[in-house]
Amino acid sequence: MILNYIKIAFRTLRKNKGYSFLNIFGLAIGITCASLIFLWVEDEVSFDSDFSKQDQVYYVPTHQEYDGEWRTFNSTPGPFAEAMKAEIPGIVKASRTKHRDFLFAVNDNAINSGGRFVDEDFITIFSLKFVEGYAKEAFNNPEAIVITQETAEQLYGKNTKVLGKVLKVDNTDNYLITGVIENLPKNVTFPINWIAPFERWSGDKEWTNGYGSFFADTFVELSPEADFNAVNDQVLGLLEKKTGDSDSKAFLHSIKDWHLRGNFENGKQVGGRIDSVRLFTIIALIILLIACINFMNLSTARSEKRANEVGVRKAMGSGRSRLIFQFISEALILSFIATLVSVLLLFILLPQFNLLIERNLVLGLAEPLHIIFLLGITLVCGVFAGLYPAFYLSSFNPVEVLKGLKVTQGSATFIRKGLVVGQFTISIVFIICTILVYQQIQHVKNRDLGFDKDQLISLNVNGTMIEKFDVIKQDLIHTGAVSSVGLNNSGILNGGNNGSNLTWTGGTDTEDILIFFRYISSDFLETAGMKLAEGRGFSENVAKDSSSVLITESFAKLMGTGSAIGKKVIRDDTYTVIGVVKDYLFEDMYGQSDPVLFFNYLGESSYMYLKTNPNIEPNEMLSKVEAVMKKHNPAFPFEYSFVDDAFNAKFRSEQLIGKLSQLFALLAILISCLGLFGLAAYTAEQRSKEIGVRKVLGASVAGIVKLLSKDFLKLVGLSIVIAIPMAWYVIDNWLQNYAYRIEINWWIFVIAGFVAIVIAMITVSFQAIKAALANPVDSLKTE
Amino acid sequence: MKTILVSLNEATRTVNSGRHKITLLDNINLNVEEGEFISLMGPSGSGKSTLLNCIGMLDNFTDGGYTFLGEPVHSMKEKNRSKLYKEYIGFVFQAYHLIDELTVYENIETPLLYKNVKSSERKAMVADMLDRFNIVGKKDLFPVQLSGGQQQLVGIARALIGQPKLILADEPTGNLNSKQSEEIMELFAQLNKEGVTIIQATHSESNAAYGSRIINLLDGKIV
Repeated sequence: MILNYIKIAFRTLRKNKGYSFLNIFGLAIGITCASLIFLWVEDEVSFDSDFSKQDQVYYVPTHQEYDGEWRTFNSTPGPFAEAMKAEIPGIVKASRTKHRDFLFAVNDNAINSGGRFVDEDFITIFSLKFVEGYAKEAFNNPEAIVITQETAEQLYGKNTKVLGKVLKVDNTDNYLITGVIENLPKNVTFPINWIAPFERWSGDKEWTNGYGSFFADTFVELSPEADFNAVNDQVLGLLEKKTGDSDSKAFLHSIKDWHLRGNFENGKQVGGRIDSVRLFTIIALIILLIACINFMNLSTARSEKRANEVGVRKAMGSGRSRLIFQFISEALILSFIATLVSVLLLFILLPQFNLLIERNLVLGLAEPLHIIFLLGITLVCGVFAGLYPAFYLSSFNPVEVLKGLKVTQGSATFIRKGLVVGQFTISIVFIICTILVYQQIQHVKNRDLGFDKDQLISLNVNGTMIEKFDVIKQDLIHTGAVSSVGLNNSGILNGGNNGSNLTWTGGTDTEDILIFFRYISSDFLETAGMKLAEGRGFSENVAKDSSSVLITESFAKLMGTGSAIGKKVIRDDTYTVIGVVKDYLFEDMYGQSDPVLFFNYLGESSYMYLKTNPNIEPNEMLSKVEAVMKKHNPAFPFEYSFVDDAFNAKFRSEQLIGKLSQLFALLAILISCLGLFGLAAYTAEQRSKEIGVRKVLGASVAGIVKLLSKDFLKLVGLSIVIAIPMAWYVIDNWLQNYAYRIEINWWIFVIAGFVAIVIAMITVSFQAIKAALANPVDSLKTE
Repeated sequence: MKTILVSLNEATRTVNSGRHKITLLDNINLNVEEGEFISLMGPSGSGKSTLLNCIGMLDNFTDGGYTFLGEPVHSMKEKNRSKLYKEYIGFVFQAYHLIDELTVYENIETPLLYKNVKSSERKAMVADMLDRFNIVGKKDLFPVQLSGGQQQLVGIARALIGQPKLILADEPTGNLNSKQSEEIMELFAQLNKEGVTIIQATHSESNAAYGSRIINLLDGKIV
């Protein structure tokens, strides 16, 4: 029996090639799309999941109160880790850590490599597996370093025993390799290529021993029996006890939440990437739904063709349940073929998709989970898409269909129209969202930043760059490739160094206000293209301006009305304001400009900024800059980044949403059009007699095209009406996430509606024209 | 005495068309004995097809009694009715109604699938039938590749494969030329001799003459 069904299914497929193509291709696109999204979701939710102690490992961030609002920071004071372990019974392991980028050099082989200074507990917390050396002894030597297998291979080549070798770091320090650990998985929140004892870094830094500075990333492990809430309550209280301040609270952040639930607002967890994961899961389901709707639509639309078979089979003694079973089997076969096609599509598209989302997802067809997923999707699509047609087709009365009476399609037509409206509504919502997301991103990108990100490159400060700053600057400008050079302790786009507890003239209750600190060289403002609102900048002579400060306009506002020049700011010492810089944006490109205080001091510099000459080719400019840097700082590799690249990277998640919504809008439209195309074809066929009669009576081709298109356009029109409020609601919700956002313009809805109508017109009119041009004799003869 | 196969007692079939109630079959009384060959005659719309469909259980009488082999069909559940009809009744249509996607072989085989006959048995039965109708060479062809007469032959083979007691044929030669018609009617006569009961609806006097009894219908009544 099954064999008979399969035979019939394949023969039907072959006989109706166009229909089969529409059906399979539509479903295959849907399945491909859903698979891509689910691969991404799988990657997202598997972050950090390879570490074994999922219920015991926590990161310790802090909420800090500024001006009545709680902000959350990834840092804790140095002694806090040890204090938690000693005073809170549930905590069995704790480690301070500090991230650093190392330059490793072995002979001519030099690589930059990120890692962490950690306490010994770190090894147990993350269950690091040693392939060389022993976990227990690894940190016995104060000069120890433990590197990953990958790092070892990069430095020494494959299959080399590296235990006991001395590794040169940053061309100055020697480290002794006391262990090699297995590589960490790619998708971890805190990647490391090496670990070294924390004291090696903190040894000479007295400030790391007190509770005054928040700088360490702290990890803890709870005992398996520990009650999370009880331990967390004690952690919350402990920092307050230690600092004597009620405005900073440490808390436990589970390893399971690091990647997906990392956003905090006013001391409360408010989601994070999980929102995107949910959003795209829903989108995947919606696209599948659209594809299934296609299937149902096309199947019921061509029911007339199957009606006779249904009648004969019933007359042959088939019960209804057998027919239902037959039609669902057919749907399953179709969806199985669609799945095979989509696997093929996945092979082709996955590399492109990886480029788009900047990931490295693999299809992994050997993985049971993926196989189960594909089979599951085949089954669900087949049954879901086949169910309605099966019940509908099997309900035909054999006496009527065998007599050749028209099948009464009242309810089916209504449902089919409803399905088309549903499809187009979703497509139009996608179109509108795509336009608005794009607009929002452009809106923010074109925002006046308060500085000029173009032609600006940044170098990491290392080696002797600060001591030789004047010479370097001179030589760089001398090349003609660079017009200005400035130093800063913080990345221009980053939040970085900040604090409170300042006082100033004209301000009350100033202790609570969070101020950002920048230590810059005199020409930084010029280099970054920042403008002075009043007063002057720092002079080249650092000593002269050692007790002068610059402030931004938003800081000046905090000082009350009137010129801020000459007012005092007290931060341990007293400083005089000599200039006010126009507000500029950093960290959150959608937010407000936070107040910034500039000091004229080079010692803390981490970044060197170069304003380059736009008339010189970037490659030529870079080689000139490299030559100068090699000359003055030969021990370090020349590495640079363009500020506008970093700026664009700030929009990565928005751009991902933008790109994906573009992609999905396109696919949703495509699938919907496949369905509409098929429907139009069958409508034209169904009405061929009517068209024939009308033509004989003198109707024009244009008149008939209009007649056939009108009904479909009405449906699309209805979809537009439904889609507009839906899209409005969705996008308005999304925009609420951004302080700096666009207004929703009515003309976007007009454009989206227009696009939908034009696409539907093209799709339908193709069939309508074909039907209208047909010779009426042919269609009338058949009756 | 011969077995009574079909017995109709004041059987009536009405339909609602808008506000009007239309009577298609009006108090039909009819007994069909096993081995009979009945020809139903009458103009278009006289109720021939409706009567065949109702006897064939594709349709139901709205009133009156219908017993098949002594079993009361009118008070039977759908499931039992379907069982009865799968077992004893075969249909032949004017427009053949073969399934276009199936070959000759598979078309003939289909009723056996619905009767859950075993695969080996099916093969033997279909082979017999092909043999008997001299269409072994055409078993892998699709209906569109056959002439009308050949298609009707397949249609009859399909109706016979389940070894029914009763064949219902609704204008079996309506779409055929006179030569093909004659062949088909000869076949029916032959089958009837072999013991199959046949009820055919027809317009043609000459076809009707093959039957053992002619029943004339007019406006849903036997006249």
